[in-house]
Amino acid sequence: MKKLIYDIVGKLNKRDIQFGDVRFTSSDSQTIFFEKKNLKHISKTTDAEALGIRVLVDGCWGFAGTDVMDVTKVDGLINLAISNAKHSARFRHTPVAFKSIKPTTGSYYFVPEEDPFAMPDDQKIEYLQNIANKLNQNPLIIHTGVHVDFYRQYKVYANTEGSFVDTLVYDTMPSMSVVAVNSKGMQTRTWPGHMSTKRGGFEVVREAKLEENIDRIVKEVIDLLDAPTIEEEKADLIIGGGHLALQLHESVGHATEADRILGMEISYAGKTFIKPEMLGNFKYGSKEVNIYSDSTDPRGIGYHLVDDEGVPGRKVDIIKEGILLDQQTSREIAPQLGLEPSSNMMASFADDFPLVRMTNFCLAPGKAGSLEDLIKSTEKGYYIDFTKTWSIDDNRNNFQFTTEIGYKIVDGQIVGIVKEPTYFGITAEFWGACDAVCSESEWNYHGTSYCGKGEPGQAMHLSHGVAPARFRNIVCNVKA
Amino acid sequence: MQEQLRKFLEKVIATHKDYKFIFNHSSWQTDFLRFYQSQVNYNISKSSEQLWVTIYQGKKSLSFSISDPDEKKLSHKLDESFNLISKLPNDEDFVDIENDLTKTKEKAKENNIKKLSLDNKIDILQKFSTVAKKHGFKTFGTFICNYETSSILNSNGVDKVSYNSPIMLEIKGVADKNMVTVLESLGGEQIANLDFDRALESFERKLIAGKAEVVDLDPDHYEVILAPRCIGEYLTNLGSSFHSASLDRKSSFFEGKENKEVFPKNITVYDDPHDADLVNFDYNGEGHKIDKLMLIENGVFKNYLVNSYYGHKTNLPINGNSGSCLVMKTGDKSLEEMISTVKKGIYISSLHYMNFINVKETSLTGLTRDGTFLIENGKITKVINNLRFTEKISSILENITEIENNSFVIPFSSNYGAFEISSVKMPHVKVAKFHITSSTKTI
Repeated sequence: MKKLIYDIVGKLNKRDIQFGDVRFTSSDSQTIFFEKKNLKHISKTTDAEALGIRVLVDGCWGFAGTDVMDVTKVDGLINLAISNAKHSARFRHTPVAFKSIKPTTGSYYFVPEEDPFAMPDDQKIEYLQNIANKLNQNPLIIHTGVHVDFYRQYKVYANTEGSFVDTLVYDTMPSMSVVAVNSKGMQTRTWPGHMSTKRGGFEVVREAKLEENIDRIVKEVIDLLDAPTIEEEKADLIIGGGHLALQLHESVGHATEADRILGMEISYAGKTFIKPEMLGNFKYGSKEVNIYSDSTDPRGIGYHLVDDEGVPGRKVDIIKEGILLDQQTSREIAPQLGLEPSSNMMASFADDFPLVRMTNFCLAPGKAGSLEDLIKSTEKGYYIDFTKTWSIDDNRNNFQFTTEIGYKIVDGQIVGIVKEPTYFGITAEFWGACDAVCSESEWNYHGTSYCGKGEPGQAMHLSHGVAPARFRNIVCNVKA
Repeated sequence: MQEQLRKFLEKVIATHKDYKFIFNHSSWQTDFLRFYQSQVNYNISKSSEQLWVTIYQGKKSLSFSISDPDEKKLSHKLDESFNLISKLPNDEDFVDIENDLTKTKEKAKENNIKKLSLDNKIDILQKFSTVAKKHGFKTFGTFICNYETSSILNSNGVDKVSYNSPIMLEIKGVADKNMVTVLESLGGEQIANLDFDRALESFERKLIAGKAEVVDLDPDHYEVILAPRCIGEYLTNLGSSFHSASLDRKSSFFEGKENKEVFPKNITVYDDPHDADLVNFDYNGEGHKIDKLMLIENGVFKNYLVNSYYGHKTNLPINGNSGSCLVMKTGDKSLEEMISTVKKGIYISSLHYMNFINVKETSLTGLTRDGTFLIENGKITKVINNLRFTEKISSILENITEIENNSFVIPFSSNYGAFEISSVKMPHVKVAKFHITSSTKTI
């Protein structure tokens, strides 16, 4: 396959184009899903190959992609990409400016501890069947699920500047859920929560400690049925890592994707409240808030040697001590904002067009000690975690989240639970209310395999490093 | 599907009688133009060929998919599957795969990618951009043509082909001075039914409305006019409650409300996969022929959407509908009449990022987008910053007081997994006591 990619780059170099790149992906995935005690679904896709060719001609992008790997049709694909660019240039008033960069070559092959694609399927099923059986232990529980996704992707990236990089990665997403009903309504508990994808193989399933947490989520879902809701108008909230990862994702991650500043995503995903003139001076949060994009950390799903337009992996401070400094950018966008490309152009598969995407987008650890320390130092409030509902506006400014459970804190102690804690905020006001972030010992990566963006839609794998944090005086009594 | 592959699939079914097979083959192309700031962002041509296979041995089953399928790849995967399937646990709820053998005329559709070339699209977009510029706006959006051929074969004798070639234009005008946004869209499968000139006139009316002063609005309960897109989105979100799977999981709002009046008498909603204005579907994903299905009739809940799996499990009659072609029956008021009786209220053009808080209660939160307008004394007077609502869909429907005497086709693209375009046909509706819970303070 590497030879085919070399050959395509060679053909592109002979054409009258400003820039061209080629991507090849071969992807494997497996989903295993138990509903109640029954194996509802086991499916596998292996060696799903795709090829994508992107060219810049007459100041306009053209792209052609396919998952039908027919080497005799490569010339047709190149011609189609070039034709798309040339015709589209009729409707382009400002040519794309694209500065050349130094080429990168290299390889990265992640090796999981337990390769899920080499492991016999019946062993995986037996392991998960045991979890599914034990989840169904209370008559009030009317539905349960055990769901695991395994993913492996081999990718080759090459461009007309001489970059040539191939990578192999594995990601795994384990999850389980219980749903209970009584006359007061329906409640849900999940484990490990909303962002459970991690780099790795079957060891990620074992590390999720599903079996060890069955009793906890079963008890909590039953208790939630009769639990009160938050009654205060405002409260101090400690947000746990799994849910804080989503809060970071929605209100900072997407907001600092610079394609939104230029309106490239208005048609679907939306825009951002950030304007170019805010860079370097806008107070996005309190001094406790330090946020960065880091595609150089191999612990996170967003690690890469180069992004999908040849920019080497980078660590970039997006927010430093609360001040907005930088953006997630592409080679086309960065110069328009006076920035360096941040290595954030990514596509899900080779036949997808690359977009500005989060990689490892992280809230740096603070100095608040452990989660236990943070709870102890909170006079009155709620510790909330496990995402239930999320929603944020077109500008990434007004958000409202509901978690599955909240733990009521009085005088530094957890004294009970509340159901469906719902809080609302305006992005910069909310991050400005952050007065404590837990220390390094509580800091972990939380990942997703399903971050949607772009048209045609792409679901991206990415991760967020966070530690639990506290936010003061947050509006938390919103009801339908 | 190539004849050689089809014959091989038929042979597999004929020679492995101990198993039951479902083969779904899809050949798909898109030509996808994305534009921003009145110029092209990128144009994508993409093609895909996939085969999805599900194998049953009694109550055991597994699935796999193959890109760019051929006999060699399929044989290898089948051998692997035959070795595994006997080791799997049963799904005790499974009874049988689809056995509806009725067919439509399966008429091949013209490939709209060829009929509406990239140059044609650009010509149309340039007209919209010229009008937008006249009013101080730029255009942003997508112009999509797809072409898909889908074949379904199974061991119960289902052997069907369906064709789709949807067109979708979604164009937003964004004001240079303050980012006020308005939206126009049209879609369907028959180019002759797509009136681009009428859409351009409508777009210009919205641009003019979008030039008004921008104000903020406090959280409260308001009388609102929901644009067709909005009521379509609420009904689509209610789709989870319409589905028999949610009845089985006890998460349907309609559980225990079968054949009971749940909404006002003026509300009638049905799924009509053959409505000529919509993107049409002959069969569901299992090959069941789908027809018009009444969901809410004069306020009474009539039917769940039932596929073969949950039909067997819930003992409901299988209809195969999926709610992908929802139509709301029109009412007796013009839009102007509906607006004229609003003393202080809101016109909502579009919604954004809705998510359920409690699906059984139909409570959710979301935001307005792409044109939210203040209505004062019967007239649209100002633009409003986008607003957040926290509501129950059931309450919204219960509080519908008036329905427009005209309806509009609204295309939607599904952006996860397979890229599909479907459509709904909806009128404007007037809703009392709509719960706005906060302002975004931004356009």
